[in-house]
Amino acid sequence: MDNSICQVYEDEIQSLEEEIKILAEKYEDSQQESTFFSDEEILMSIKSFQREFQGESKGRESASNLKAQLESLETDLSFLMKFTGIQFTSHSKKTLEKTRNRTVQKHRLSGSCHSLSFQLEFQLLEMQNKENMSALITDLSIIMESGEDSDVSKFLSR
Amino acid sequence: GVLAHLEMLEAQAHEAAVKEEETEQQEEKLASLKARVQELRLQRDELRAKVDLQQKEQLGKGGVTSDLAQPSARAVLEWKIKSLKDMLQVFYLTGISGKLTKRGVCFCISTAYEGTYLDSYYLDLLAKPEVQIHRHSIPIFIPLEQIAKKYLQTDIRRFLFVLSDHLNAYVGRRYQADQLQERFSHQIEGTLQRNSLCNLLVFNYNVSCQNKTFPFNVRLLYGDLCCSLPTEVIISCTPDTPASLAEMAPAHSDLFRRTALHKAFRSFSSAEES
Repeated sequence: MDNSICQVYEDEIQSLEEEIKILAEKYEDSQQESTFFSDEEILMSIKSFQREFQGESKGRESASNLKAQLESLETDLSFLMKFTGIQFTSHSKKTLEKTRNRTVQKHRLSGSCHSLSFQLEFQLLEMQNKENMSALITDLSIIMESGEDSDVSKFLSR
Repeated sequence: GVLAHLEMLEAQAHEAAVKEEETEQQEEKLASLKARVQELRLQRDELRAKVDLQQKEQLGKGGVTSDLAQPSARAVLEWKIKSLKDMLQVFYLTGISGKLTKRGVCFCISTAYEGTYLDSYYLDLLAKPEVQIHRHSIPIFIPLEQIAKKYLQTDIRRFLFVLSDHLNAYVGRRYQADQLQERFSHQIEGTLQRNSLCNLLVFNYNVSCQNKTFPFNVRLLYGDLCCSLPTEVIISCTPDTPASLAEMAPAHSDLFRRTALHKAFRSFSSAEES
């Protein structure tokens, strides 16, 4: 009889731990999605971050790691934009639903593709099943200025 | 007599002591589990309240949370890093993304069929002395060498787009065949035969008339490797098939040429129901 009480507690512990994990992620996502810092603010933060750790060698290492990570991501992104011709000028996303196995996010993008400007919105559903993660796009809506149909359909097919 | 009796008493006492210890351990374990549950419940409730407050603030102020009154420089940078990663994920969704490496670029071609993302393939390219493929995960039945020979040196972008077309068409054909096997297995007679490139499919499916079923044999050839619809459809039926059914073959052939396989079969099912 004691064993089954133990089991009940252990089950509840597991479900609470999952719930806590999802709530924490929800909070982080929401913070990320509702904040915006301009490029100037970013630059100022880099400078002040480096100043903060001027003296301490340990802190300086993590500061330069963060800066290096930032720079590497920026170089990759600017390379991709130049290479594909797709320049994104803004991107916002909002997590609509988040459970243990399912995440639904709504994305809003604007930019230009080889000088044709566009705005698009879609929902991305990610589901985790036993072995892998699957991704599905729904509710895609695209607004483009007048452009040739062939280019539009090629991009639309993405 | 006495010794044996003493031994028995000792054994009994020992057993009782062991049992008592077990019970104590059980009670301790239960108590610690109970405490952990209380602790987690509290943590969960606090988080819930935090998230609720955050949502209320966002609704009220239209997007600016007061929680980050004075964000630290580290928090700002971490925000920027996360938003850059999100942007890179969007590129993944467009089909072509990548990462610069010391000696070149590692491209990732992601494929999708009708909104569902399928496999991703990698191409590690070196830039010097000339553009060359260092490593890749492209399946061997995709004519990579042919495409590279034609475009890699002169127009890398075109090379990637052509390769991407081949890969997307391949996964699209494979997806249709998989869907057919998964969702309409009851209508398929025997096994569905296919090659690795999934550009040749041969199978038998049942067509019914007045409670009798007759098999149609269909051979689908996808002549255009960048296309996920067949270029050639050959349907044949057995000699004892009634004329009324045999006459449907050209219509089916036309349907297979125009529509995705699993969608064609879905329309068969709904036609039968009506």
